[in-house]
Amino acid sequence: MNVAEKSLIYLYCVTKAKPDCSDFEETGIKVYPIYFQGTYAILSRVSPEEFSEENLKKNLANMEWVEKNIRQHEKVIEEIMKDITVIPFKFGTIFKTEEGVENLLKENNLKFKNVITDLEGKEEWGLKVYCDSEKLNDSLKKEDERVQGIEKEITSSGKGKAYFLKKKKSELIKNVRNEKISEYTQDSFERIKRACLEAKINKMLPKEVTEKKESMVLNAVFLINAKRIKEFENILAYLKTKYTNKGLIFDCTGPWPPYNFCNLSEKGKVQNE
Amino acid sequence: MNEVTKSKDVALIEVLDKVLDKGAVVAGDIVISVADVDLIYIGLKVLLSSVETMERLRGAPMSGGREEPT
Repeated sequence: MNVAEKSLIYLYCVTKAKPDCSDFEETGIKVYPIYFQGTYAILSRVSPEEFSEENLKKNLANMEWVEKNIRQHEKVIEEIMKDITVIPFKFGTIFKTEEGVENLLKENNLKFKNVITDLEGKEEWGLKVYCDSEKLNDSLKKEDERVQGIEKEITSSGKGKAYFLKKKKSELIKNVRNEKISEYTQDSFERIKRACLEAKINKMLPKEVTEKKESMVLNAVFLINAKRIKEFENILAYLKTKYTNKGLIFDCTGPWPPYNFCNLSEKGKVQNE
Repeated sequence: MNEVTKSKDVALIEVLDKVLDKGAVVAGDIVISVADVDLIYIGLKVLLSSVETMERLRGAPMSGGREEPT
């Protein structure tokens, strides 16, 4: 496909420092910056066959296409952010003309600069916690007095009473389990939060999407001073030691582009006040 | 660093969770809507009863760990 056919412009991220776009040649994507008063928009040309409003909608139903393009979006931004601070944009932010991008840089000049300055030297990390219910149940039987109490009562009861107590027990375990999950995840979140600049809890993803047999019980993101990563890792190691035998599984990823911490409207408001 | 995963090797769902739902939003000429994002999640598992999943995706509680694991 020749360049003339690629009439749409895809926006990956905005930076303040000049980005090195030479690393993308091997991938076949031509990434290039445009400049306006101290800010750069990192772009590539894309074809309307893939990214026009109508075709984009069609392509979003094609998981192969989505995976390829989503990973490419992430790869370009990760490459850029190796050296400089970025504002990562949402996947599929498309402009019809370079003037459109220039206007964006013009209209948001101060806001972009402020957000980038704010993010300098900081990293986004993600933590997803899953719960192995069986393992948690086992630990409750060993450690929880309420569960142990009812078990004792069952063994010392006659058949009829034991039947009802068993029903009561499963109800009790369910409640205790929820209570414990809440306690463990809150403790984990609060402890990590202390080493972070910002922390957020995102919606949990169902098993159908995570494709794990354990349920997600916490989906959190953290903005961390790059100099304090070691501290973050130590807390995480501590939490793993504390909660692994209680059924929690910690899945930590990063550093990510600060997707969760570049709220333009929020930061814009603060700057305007 | 064996405590953490390098983001390059992470599962697609990790990338989707960031790139589709988060990231700076501006008025481009073409942008992906919330409905489009739902479409992608449905595409991930076409077979499942998508309505229920969408409700869970959109309406999951914002504080961690309140829901019973199923």
